[in-house]
Amino acid sequence: MSTVIVADRVTKIFAEGRRDEVAALQDLSLEVNEGEFICLVGGSGCGKTTFLNLVAGFLSPTDGVIYLRGRRIAGIEPRAGMIFQSYALLPWKTVFGNVEFGPKMKRLPKAERRAIAERFIRMVGLTGFEHFYPGQLSGGMQQRVTLARLLAADPEVFLMDEPFAALDAMTRQVMQEELIRIHEQSRKTTIFVTHNIDEALILADRIIVMSARPGRVKTSIQNDLPRPRHVDMQLSPRYLELKTQIWGHVEEEVRRHIEATPRDPGER
Amino acid sequence: MASTGERPRTGRARARLGETWRSFALGTLSVIVLLSVWQAVTAGGYISPIFLPSPLQVFRQARRYVTDGSLFWHVMSSGRRVLIGFVLAAIVAIPLGIVLGTSRVAKALFDPILSIIRPLPSLSWIPLTILWFGIDEGQKYAIVFMGTFASALLYVMESTRRVDPLLIKAAQNLGATRVDVLREVILPGSLPGIISGLKVCLALSWTCVLSAEMVAATQGLGALIWFAKDWNNMALVMVGMVSISVTVLMIDTAFRAIEDRILPWERHQRRRD
Repeated sequence: MSTVIVADRVTKIFAEGRRDEVAALQDLSLEVNEGEFICLVGGSGCGKTTFLNLVAGFLSPTDGVIYLRGRRIAGIEPRAGMIFQSYALLPWKTVFGNVEFGPKMKRLPKAERRAIAERFIRMVGLTGFEHFYPGQLSGGMQQRVTLARLLAADPEVFLMDEPFAALDAMTRQVMQEELIRIHEQSRKTTIFVTHNIDEALILADRIIVMSARPGRVKTSIQNDLPRPRHVDMQLSPRYLELKTQIWGHVEEEVRRHIEATPRDPGER
Repeated sequence: MASTGERPRTGRARARLGETWRSFALGTLSVIVLLSVWQAVTAGGYISPIFLPSPLQVFRQARRYVTDGSLFWHVMSSGRRVLIGFVLAAIVAIPLGIVLGTSRVAKALFDPILSIIRPLPSLSWIPLTILWFGIDEGQKYAIVFMGTFASALLYVMESTRRVDPLLIKAAQNLGATRVDVLREVILPGSLPGIISGLKVCLALSWTCVLSAEMVAATQGLGALIWFAKDWNNMALVMVGMVSISVTVLMIDTAFRAIEDRILPWERHQRRRD
C-alpha cells in the first residue's frame, strides 16, 4: 500500500512571538495510506481542524512539512478537497451550478461537466433538486450538495471537517451511512475530523486520537470492525471494546485540556 | 422548506397574498384620512390657503399642468439628468470599487482622496461645475455625478469586501484561479450589496438634480418648484413635490423588479422573511 499523505513533524503556532501565542500542533507526524479512511478524534482545541487546514493549504506550517504524493503542500491545494462544517456552498448557484463548479474550473467541456454533475447529484440522492438554490434546502440536503461537489471535483484526497456536526442526530446517521456507501464506491483517501467517537467507529479504517493542545498524535487505533457497517453493529462486543479503549485515551486528554486552560479572570 | 413539497408552498403563497392586500388597503385608508383632514382644515378656514393650499387646489393645478403636457416635460427633463448622471457614476464606481475592494494597495492609494470628496454635499459643487460646464445639461450631469459617485464607490467597495472569505477559500480549493474567484465568487457575492447601494444613490441623485435645478435651470421639477415659489403659487410647489415622490416611487418599483430578475437566489430568501 502506498502512502498518500505524509506529515513530518508539523508544528503550527498561531500569533508567534506575541503574548497570546498558541501552539496548536507540535511535531505531529502522520502517514495516510492510499484509499484509507482515517478519523481524527480529540477534544476541542486539539488542533484537528488546524491540521486539515494545513493539508488543504489554507494555512502554512510554522515548522515541518506535509507531502501529498511526494509533493510538498505550499499554498491552497486543489488536490486535497475540503468539506466544511458550514457547507460553504455558493448561494447564487443552483445545486447543479455548485456541483458543476469543480469540473468548470478544470475547463472541461460543457457536455462532460453536465454528465459529471448529474451523476454525482444522483449519487447523493438529489435528483430533481438541480435547480434549487442552497438557501431553499435543509442542512442535510446542503451537506449532500457539498459531498456531490467534492466528488465531481474529483480531488486526490478528501478532507472533512466535522461535516455532520450541525445536523440533527437522525439526519446525521443517514448521512454517515451514505458516506460509507460513497467511500466504498470511490475508495478515496479521506481524513475526517470529528469529536464523536461513534461517528469515527462507524466510518474509519483507522482512528487517530490527538492529544490536548499542543496537538500531536497520541495513539493510532486500527478499526477492525467488519464492513459493510451499519448502525446495529454498535451493539457488538468488539464495538464496545474499541469505544471504551478510545474513550480512555480521549478522556485523559480532555481532562488535561480542562486543567491546562486558564480560568477566565472575570470568572469568580 | 423545499422538501415539504408543493401544497404547503402555495398555501403560504395565498396567505402572503392576503397579507399584501390587507397592507395595501390599510395604506390606502391612511392616505384617504390624511387627504380628508387636510381638505377639512384648509376648506374650513382653520389654516389660511397662503400657508397651505387645499388638496383640491393642488389637484386643479396638477390637472392644468398634466393636460398641457408641461408637467410630464419637467419630469422627463429631471429624469434624464438623474439617469445620465447616475449611470455615469455607476459605470465608473462599480469597476473601481471592485478593484479597491480587492486590492489593498489600490485602497491605500485612493482612501485619502475618497475621504476628502465624500463629505462634500452636491450643492457645494455648483459654483465649480457652473464654471466648468456653464449652466447647460453637462453641468447637471456633473452635479449628479459628483453628488453620488463617492457614496456609490463606497457601497461597491464595502460589498466587495464583505464577501464571505470561506466561500473564496472553498472556490480556490475547487481549483478556482484569481480571475475565477473574481468572476464566480466576488462579483455575484457583492451584487446584492451593490444593488442596494445603488438604490440609495439613485434617491440621492434626485436630491442633487433638484438642488441644481433650483439654482440654475429653466426646466425640470426643481426649476418648476422654484418658479412657483417666485410666483407665490404654493399649490404648484406642492404639485412639484408630489411629482417627485411619485416619480421616485415608480423608479423604485422598477428597480425592485430588476433586482428580482438578476438576483434569483435572493428572491426566495426575501420572500421567506
